[in-house]
Amino acid sequence: MYDSFMIQADSLKNDVVNGETVGFQFIVRLANYRGIYLSLASGFYVSVDGVEYGEDVQTLEINGKAPRTMAEIARAGFEHWDLQTKAILHIRKPGGLEKGRHDIGYMPATLDGYGYNAHDEEWVTNPPKPGTRGGGKTHHICMFDLELQE
Amino acid sequence: MAIKRGVSLYSYQQEEWFGRWTWRDQLREVALNLDGADGIEIISEATIPQYPYPSEAFIDEFNTEMARWGLQATTLDAFPDPLQFRRDHVMNDAEMAERLKIDLRLAKKLGMKNIRVLGNTIDSVKLALPLAEELDITISQEIHFPSPIKRDPNSQRYNKIMDILEYIEKTGTKHYGFQPDFGVFRTAPSDVYLGYYFRMAGYEEYAEHVKAVMEAFKCMSYEDLVEWAKKTYPKVFNGGWADGELRPASAAPEELKLIAPYIYCVHGKFFHMMEMPDRPGEYEDLAVDSEGAIRVLKEIGYEGYIDSEYEGQRSQQDRGEAYLASEIEEVRRHQKMLKRLIEEA
Repeated sequence: MYDSFMIQADSLKNDVVNGETVGFQFIVRLANYRGIYLSLASGFYVSVDGVEYGEDVQTLEINGKAPRTMAEIARAGFEHWDLQTKAILHIRKPGGLEKGRHDIGYMPATLDGYGYNAHDEEWVTNPPKPGTRGGGKTHHICMFDLELQE
Repeated sequence: MAIKRGVSLYSYQQEEWFGRWTWRDQLREVALNLDGADGIEIISEATIPQYPYPSEAFIDEFNTEMARWGLQATTLDAFPDPLQFRRDHVMNDAEMAERLKIDLRLAKKLGMKNIRVLGNTIDSVKLALPLAEELDITISQEIHFPSPIKRDPNSQRYNKIMDILEYIEKTGTKHYGFQPDFGVFRTAPSDVYLGYYFRMAGYEEYAEHVKAVMEAFKCMSYEDLVEWAKKTYPKVFNGGWADGELRPASAAPEELKLIAPYIYCVHGKFFHMMEMPDRPGEYEDLAVDSEGAIRVLKEIGYEGYIDSEYEGQRSQQDRGEAYLASEIEEVRRHQKMLKRLIEEA
């Protein structure tokens, strides 16, 4: 679902803080039809030119608030990620990305569900690693060929 | 009285996701372009801004627009999300009921007569039932593929539908019932979904293969079909999501008779409307037995709504803008089919 639209095509750029390039960012969208309570976002599979970037270097900027770690997002059980809301996914990588085009692999990991499942208790503390299981209604890692914006 | 036609705004999810159409545009489309359809079903989280606590201004505006176009609010679709309180605990039945009560109150404010639930436990629904009775809103268990309707005496599988039926008949409640989804009456795998899975497996040309799978579905047992498909297309059917397309119907239209008095709304699920070869200007979905389902609904005297629920768009979002499906056109065709099937003797 939304395989070729989940990342906004013109949104890849480096993150610069106080003149220092600390990482990169791009704009992401949900792959479902209803939105989710924000706590249900458990991370994002991200790879750039074959290198994976895990949840420990990810922060999500959404709903007008400063970027939050995935541990903070997990506790946002009463805040909603609306269907049309664009969020900025920041990846910490000192020096950022080089100029030019990059192959980005991407799949959101969200835990929205219709009812109880046998794995629920396990997933409270240990949700599946992003990229190993469907995120919303997208069930595989999608590839994007994006140009780094100035 | 006859069966009435409506649209679940689920059908326009892609227009909404891209921000091209708001709920106002969707209401106008239903009112003006669907030849007498007047029912509106909404998706709680998607349709309601600032869900679950929308502004009074939105509530007023929604009700005003509905009245302006002469539309009827049919159903609000609700969801439980057992992992909402992640990093703490799995939602329990009481919490699931509280979330449903929030949706019941929202439904009341928006003039909805019915709430659709799917994965909510029976115990959680029982806890919300007194509020549903007070607000006079029915709670309908969706019967969604691959759910059966009747109990299979040879199967040990839990049958939630029959358990709910027993509860309704034992208590006499007028506020707990069913919302069957036509997707359970499947007659073939959907061509648009098969196309997607063939593309994911690297096929560039696959129209003939899609046709072959749809034909094989009709003339083979499920076991033979799975064996043939895995052997013929090992990259497509390999234990992943594509295999689900091979599954047979989970219920027959006749089974609707078992739950007849308790059907409060119906999902007219569909995936791809095609022009009928022998009837130009008329449409059908080869994957769903809408005709059989409507015939039985007429036999049992159902007079509620069938809400179009289009789901073909999401299997066509992998190739960029030019290949996106037109939800607007698909719903128009589906409504034309519903009208034909409802009015035909």
